[in-house]
Amino acid sequence: MDERAFTRVAEAYGARFYAVAFRLLGNRADAEDAVQRSLTNCFAARAAYSPRWPLSTWIYRALTNVCLDELRRRHVRAEHADDAGSSRSMPRFDVEAVDLERALGRVPREARVLLALRYVDGLSYGELARIRGISVNTVKSQLARGKTILRQTLDLPDGRQARRRTR
Amino acid sequence: MDRIDDVLTRYFAPDAKPPRLAIRSAEASADALMKLADRIGIEAGARGIRRLTLAGDDDVTTGGRAHARRARREVTEFLAGRRTFFSVPVDLEGVGDFQARVLASANAIAFGDVRSYAQLATSIGAPKAARAVGNALAANPVPLIVPCHRIVRGDGTWGNYALGPRLKTALLELERRVPLLIGCVTTRIVCRRGCAHEQRVREDRRVVFASVGDARSVGYRPCLACRPAA
Repeated sequence: MDERAFTRVAEAYGARFYAVAFRLLGNRADAEDAVQRSLTNCFAARAAYSPRWPLSTWIYRALTNVCLDELRRRHVRAEHADDAGSSRSMPRFDVEAVDLERALGRVPREARVLLALRYVDGLSYGELARIRGISVNTVKSQLARGKTILRQTLDLPDGRQARRRTR
Repeated sequence: MDRIDDVLTRYFAPDAKPPRLAIRSAEASADALMKLADRIGIEAGARGIRRLTLAGDDDVTTGGRAHARRARREVTEFLAGRRTFFSVPVDLEGVGDFQARVLASANAIAFGDVRSYAQLATSIGAPKAARAVGNALAANPVPLIVPCHRIVRGDGTWGNYALGPRLKTALLELERRVPLLIGCVTTRIVCRRGCAHEQRVREDRRVVFASVGDARSVGYRPCLACRPAA
């Protein structure tokens, strides 16, 4: 794989990589840094890339690796901070987005990562499983768990219950 | 598709104008750290490592050869970003009680984390002794192994460092880009970076976790050799 081919994929998927990082890390500077670092890590380790995977899947794994390590660091820092202020910035002055951002803060990290990948790029359960190195059933249960927490926090009806009620 | 799917789809919609991306070359600080690895000198005895210096030559007494060899390997791996912890024994004989408490507290700071001098002073029960803590750290006989570079000033600036301020910056940058917990997708075991088992995991089989609890929640277990949960 040469640098030009790699850059083409990075540009084609750039908006989606950035959206995942931004929604996980909550601010523009950290998101840009995470995307740049994951691209650099992937390019440095390009000898390990196997063509049976789409290149985007491989970069998504590197990106989630960088984002999760940054979230670990923030968690440790927050535990020892003198004042427990939130470092997340509000992305839009949109009530729904602000509520959802708060609700996502209550979702476990692994489920949050899977939700971001699923809803930014519409990745399949199989692709999500490959990116995070987990089974398809674990992907399904983590997504369901994340969505249940969001529904409860945002006070939204369960889709199945709502459908049953309308019948 | 229910309501939550609509809400999530709107929230996660990618930005129309993402930032411009480029592949960066390796950072200059990485070269500075590899040069440091060549300059490190190790003093070791039968009970462990007594001192790390910039003298370059080793000073090993009877029974210390294995410790010195292990320390050199671990320091080189640490500076190359392949290790996040040290397992070589340290011999702090001759260090005063206050300094020993400061060094023990500094040793408990996790890889990638930082504390202020005042926070470290509070953690050893002497909240007014921030300056004395700074002096105790400046005389740290085993920098890197006892991570005195993870203590910075309360205003966020780096402060001084026994091996020089440029190296402190390089070390803190290194700890910002090296992940701590690595899982292997085939064995479903999570290790600390630098564990002998972790070093054998192929590049395309690595996933990073934010905590051992997160790893357990998706079916991974902690390594029994490096015990990342401890």
